[in-house]
Amino acid sequence: MTDKFTNFDEEKIVPQIQKTDEFSEQALEMPDLSKMSPINRRKFLALVGASTALAATACTDYRDKGKIISYNKKPEIITYGAANYYASTYRDGSAILIKTREGRPLGVVGNDIHPIAKGKASVQAHSAVLDLYDPERLKSPQKNGKKISWQKVDEEIVSQLASAKNSNTKTAIFCNEIHSPTFAKLLEEIKLAGGNVEIFPISLVSDKNREVSWRNCYGNTAVLAISWDKAKIIVAFEADILGHEGRPIEQIRGYANGRNVDDAKNFNRLYAIESTMSLTGTNADYRMKLNPLNSFEVLAAIYNELVEKVAPMGYSSIGNYSLDSVAKLYNLDRKVLNLLLNDLLNNPGRAIVYAGDALPFYTHNLVNLINQIIGAAELYDYSNSKVSFFEGNNPHRLKQIIKEMNEGKVGTAIVLDANPAYILADDFGFVSALKKVKTKIAFVEKESETSELCEYVLPVNHPFESWGDYQDRAGVVSLVQPVIEPLYDTRQIEAVLLSWLSGNPKAYSYDIYHDYLKKYWATNILPMLSAGDDSEKLWFACLHDGFAEIPAKAEIAKINVENSLLIPKLPNLENPPKGITVLLTNNYFLKDGRYANNGWLQEIPHPVTKAVWDNYAMIAPATADKLGLDYKDFNSDMIEVSIGNRKLKLPIIWQPGMQEDVIAIELGFGRKKAGTIGTDVGFNAVKLMTKNDDISPLILTNANIKKLNEKYKLFSTQEHHKLEDEFVKDFHRIRHIVQDGTLAQFVKNPGFIQQQREMTEKEIDEHSVNPPHDYGEVKWAMAIDLNKCVACSNCVASCNVENNVPVVGKEECGHGREMHWVRIDRYYSGTSEVPIVSSMPMLCQHCDMAPCENVCPVAATTHSIDGLNQMTYNRCVGTRYCANNCPYKVRRFNFFNFRNWVADGFYEQDSLELMHNPEVTVRSRGVMEKCTFCIQRLMEGRQEATKRGEKFLGVGLKTACQEACPADAIVFGNINDPNSEISKLAKHKLGYKVLEIIAVKPNITYLAKLRNINEEEAL
Amino acid sequence: MSSDFLHEPSVVEGRPSFADIDRQISAPLDQKPDYKYFIALGISSTMLLIGVFFIGITFYYGIGLWGNNNPVGWAFGIVNFVFWVGIGHAGTLISAILFLFRQKWRTGIARFAEGMTIFAVMTAGIFPLIHVGRPWLAGYLFPYPNQHEIWVNFTSPLLWDVFAVSTYFTVSFIFWYVGLIPDFATLRDRTTSKIKKIIYSIFSLGWRFSNRHWKNYEMVYLILAGFATPLVLSVHTIVSFDFAVSIMPGWHTTIFPPYFVAGAVFSGFAMVQNVLIFVRKIFNFEHIITVDTLEKMNKVILATGTMVGYAYAMEFFMAWYSGNQAESFVFLNRALGPYAWAYWIMVSCNVVFPQLFWFKKLRRSLPFMFVIGVLVNVGMWFERFVIIVTSLANDFLPSSWAYFKPTLTDFGILLGSFGLFFTLLLIFIRTMPVISIAEVKAAIHGSQPTHHDHERGEYNNE
Repeated sequence: MTDKFTNFDEEKIVPQIQKTDEFSEQALEMPDLSKMSPINRRKFLALVGASTALAATACTDYRDKGKIISYNKKPEIITYGAANYYASTYRDGSAILIKTREGRPLGVVGNDIHPIAKGKASVQAHSAVLDLYDPERLKSPQKNGKKISWQKVDEEIVSQLASAKNSNTKTAIFCNEIHSPTFAKLLEEIKLAGGNVEIFPISLVSDKNREVSWRNCYGNTAVLAISWDKAKIIVAFEADILGHEGRPIEQIRGYANGRNVDDAKNFNRLYAIESTMSLTGTNADYRMKLNPLNSFEVLAAIYNELVEKVAPMGYSSIGNYSLDSVAKLYNLDRKVLNLLLNDLLNNPGRAIVYAGDALPFYTHNLVNLINQIIGAAELYDYSNSKVSFFEGNNPHRLKQIIKEMNEGKVGTAIVLDANPAYILADDFGFVSALKKVKTKIAFVEKESETSELCEYVLPVNHPFESWGDYQDRAGVVSLVQPVIEPLYDTRQIEAVLLSWLSGNPKAYSYDIYHDYLKKYWATNILPMLSAGDDSEKLWFACLHDGFAEIPAKAEIAKINVENSLLIPKLPNLENPPKGITVLLTNNYFLKDGRYANNGWLQEIPHPVTKAVWDNYAMIAPATADKLGLDYKDFNSDMIEVSIGNRKLKLPIIWQPGMQEDVIAIELGFGRKKAGTIGTDVGFNAVKLMTKNDDISPLILTNANIKKLNEKYKLFSTQEHHKLEDEFVKDFHRIRHIVQDGTLAQFVKNPGFIQQQREMTEKEIDEHSVNPPHDYGEVKWAMAIDLNKCVACSNCVASCNVENNVPVVGKEECGHGREMHWVRIDRYYSGTSEVPIVSSMPMLCQHCDMAPCENVCPVAATTHSIDGLNQMTYNRCVGTRYCANNCPYKVRRFNFFNFRNWVADGFYEQDSLELMHNPEVTVRSRGVMEKCTFCIQRLMEGRQEATKRGEKFLGVGLKTACQEACPADAIVFGNINDPNSEISKLAKHKLGYKVLEIIAVKPNITYLAKLRNINEEEAL
Repeated sequence: MSSDFLHEPSVVEGRPSFADIDRQISAPLDQKPDYKYFIALGISSTMLLIGVFFIGITFYYGIGLWGNNNPVGWAFGIVNFVFWVGIGHAGTLISAILFLFRQKWRTGIARFAEGMTIFAVMTAGIFPLIHVGRPWLAGYLFPYPNQHEIWVNFTSPLLWDVFAVSTYFTVSFIFWYVGLIPDFATLRDRTTSKIKKIIYSIFSLGWRFSNRHWKNYEMVYLILAGFATPLVLSVHTIVSFDFAVSIMPGWHTTIFPPYFVAGAVFSGFAMVQNVLIFVRKIFNFEHIITVDTLEKMNKVILATGTMVGYAYAMEFFMAWYSGNQAESFVFLNRALGPYAWAYWIMVSCNVVFPQLFWFKKLRRSLPFMFVIGVLVNVGMWFERFVIIVTSLANDFLPSSWAYFKPTLTDFGILLGSFGLFFTLLLIFIRTMPVISIAEVKAAIHGSQPTHHDHERGEYNNE
């Protein structure tokens, strides 16, 4: 700093600047390269960069989690942030559209153009993404518990199969029921290829009895589907048609179609005669309790009365049953039986009797006869008869093959993603027999009781990674297409079998089954469609639609009454079984236990008992009292159920409406090898089953119950009170939570619900302290029709997936911390013997005067201009004041980071991160959350409208729950749009709001439930 | 005793000299504490550490470690908060309101009660902070300018709480400190230790016992007393708004503000009375904190307890009179439902047992009044439990009802709150004069000019 710049005039500065000659001789000269370092500038910079990076990575614990690279050439079909939908079919036959984002499957919706699905999917299909991304899926082939390559597997097994063929030992293939025509063809080919292959489709619960009876009556097994929507009188005998039997989606839709309050004339009437409280029973207009063993006699009485009244040709009465005698014998309401009979007689062609899967075939025979008399044949859907490919569940064949396995005649056993070690009754002796088989191969998605016993354990693709087709109805074949490359080193069963079939260990290729499928379709299915089109084009059209409708027409069902098989051998009534009857039922969500490791499915409360994560013996309160059994504060007594030498220990649950001498136990629980989530949840009721069932595999007689000196923590999401407890009786009616009336009442006085309202909108506005909000042209609202809602819980499953709802686990459910944004509330009135059940979906009501909003100290929950009650997660500190002040208790607090809390961070594993809906924040601990009316969908709709330059009115937007509701009970939309359905429903004569008196102005209108009971009766 | 009812007996028994008072009151500060003190401190700080541990794991894992569930969003956390804020009511009431009402008997206990107020409010203040789901964001509760332009929600009673409690704490603290200034000066003049001298000098703010100082002091003290008085009433009124402003049956009740204030004074007095029984014994303050004083406190307990009892009855009456089913059910459910045990503990401890104070003999019996004091505090804790938990557990929709079960963590934190309170109290009694030296001197017989006979007014000057 010696050269101070003091004066502009100082000449000396100027020459100094000039002196630094930019283009001096030296600078312009080419440097002498030889004298310079060999490292040039670029290389130097590269080295500096690299070494810095090296130093940086070496000094941190940075883990390379893979690269996120944008497409440098964007695939035509993918737009960032926009979901693509691909038509496919889930393994239970649900025709679905799989929603993918940037190549990741994120959820499903029903395929809306599919003739059976009609836009709805099953609970299992909705929850399928959790199975796809299940971190415990088997990731590579194993031999004796050690990792092995597919190549090695192929080599070894192909040579073993070849030697088996030569040595003339048998090969037994155990699989689930086959519904794929192409796979059936493949299996046929395998059988034809020689080597003495036998195929055994097995399932835990099947409608075999129905099939047997159908064959007796009509000479074939093509059981006809029923057009439930046309039925006016439905009589369900031990049949949970709205719950877990048959195709619930289709049945619920049909039932709900007949529950349209605007078409009161065609309102259907549902009778349920059952022993256990099923969803169908809870929805029934008339419900009677009956031991399933006696259903034959009651049906016979109905049949006899019908025969007497209608006197059809060729029908003769059975025994001397009459309504009078059975009413007296089984304590049935004579008035209701009369009504039932009259309804059957007065609605020819519009009434149907339906027997449950559990009932024995002779009861089904009787039902078919009754249906024939009352003209129910008109309700059959002749283009949709049942298609089955291999006869399954044949106990004689199973006993035979197990005998042969024990004798060492079976050299190879291949289990195709089935679980015989779990679902076959112990006395089959499958487990010990399998041990005697030389080569045991199991294809599995995750470890199971069966794979544990097998030498080769081969991982299979999830249906979302597989090709295939599905057909269980004559009129339609659905396609299965992969939407993601296999996540792990898995292959699909069909492809592997195809490559083994070729005898060439190198035959496998990714496309092998795809080509086979295409070929099969090209020769067998596509020609049935419009003939002129090019086959390739048709194939892609079918693939796009997800199905092909093929012409099918069954013969008109006509019973040959002369058939001697029909008039059933009367069941042995001389020695009626004593003791308790055990009814085994299919679980609504876990099905045959396959979904045990799916936490979402474990956690959906049972639609009737509201219990989670468990099964139990459902027992009538009176019987429980008699046996001294207690169920209190989630602490229930354990019992031991024994039938002969088969024993099962499990807890009890009080169930109002249970038949006194029956206990019901759900199947699908008590898996011993089902992964972290599914292992040891509940109790395995298969232990009670036997291979020698005389009535039905699901109805077990002569059971004994012994009270054990043990307690069990059985958690449910609703408290249980004795119905007779006057202290809390009928609160849902007193408080105007669930409103109901009878159809007759409604017809006579359509405004009866409005007359019962506690406060009108005007009164509320007059009393309100706060001025009403100003809403724009859009204000969201919802209407839920309690006439249509059957409480199936599909909405819960769909919401879970759409909104990234975490699984909290059994213990946390016990603390009342389940996170479901929508729940189904269930209330009882009446008595424990004859309960009247009301259910209602409960979710955030998005109140205009939301009590949660004004109490939040940090303004984390606020009101939007379009009427939503919004949560700002980032701002929420978690005071829980809003939840306290919510009269509907629909707010859910993240007491923990549940993803981390459940089973030591099970749900925080990498693969599950792929599952989350990217449009919805994944909430962490300490934050309040609740239903948002699927705001992400609303915003997307708004964006689309803006993009198109249209005025946004919210037409056609659907919430996830609405989309999933098979009954279409939920309607959502813009209430300020006079053309919208919701604006009409909000003013519906049956519309009411829950807890109107507290004047919070909720935006969900419930349509009061009408019970179609006899005019003279009142509720 | 004199039969002259116009004559007020001296609040200080005997006729101690000023020097005696200086000596006696500062005695605990001059001596090394004995082992009993360390045992007591050990116990309370262990309790505190247990609390700290449970708060720590709550921070780490989340509120899920508590028993709170879906309908019952608030439980022990808020129960403890309201309980401790309630305890914190006695101090300022004694020192400010009774000061304005010229209740001389407050002299001996005011300082200590105020100290308890400060510590109780400090203890209470922890709970709103730790009960939130994300305590690291608790700062959002304060209205501070930020670039997001997000402001707090002024309609939320919880926010009013933040202001009410922090104002109450600030004013109580200043009031307490101002009262301590002359005593610090006394201590400064007495002490021989250099370090203590420096500390006392700093805190006594240059007090020289000059007339001018006294004049200003009296004025400030009076103004602060006037300022603190409405706060005593407001803070618990606002705490009660947390409930009263909501729409939950059992919470949405207009009687809450006076009922809560009465309850707070009730429990605060019981706590002060409890602790004083020990303090006066251990430090030989029996002649300053006399049985007469304690008896007066018991009378306040009796009065407020009766008020609380009235409120309980009135709640029931209103619930019935309203004709609102949800409302009347909540109250019936309290008395007969799953939490009936808690309700009847509350009623017996708060309404029934304090009625025994109608008997003078019992009112003046130290062991008896101690037991009643403990029961009152148990009862008042349960009162908050009953109000908060039972109302939430069985609210509008029976479908969401659930029974609340506390966990070990809940109890650990409750224990910790007592640990904190008593640890602070134990430190206090060894570091500051627990009785106001200056005020007691002024209350000694004869220290004030009087219209009564002068013989009594003679005062023992050294």
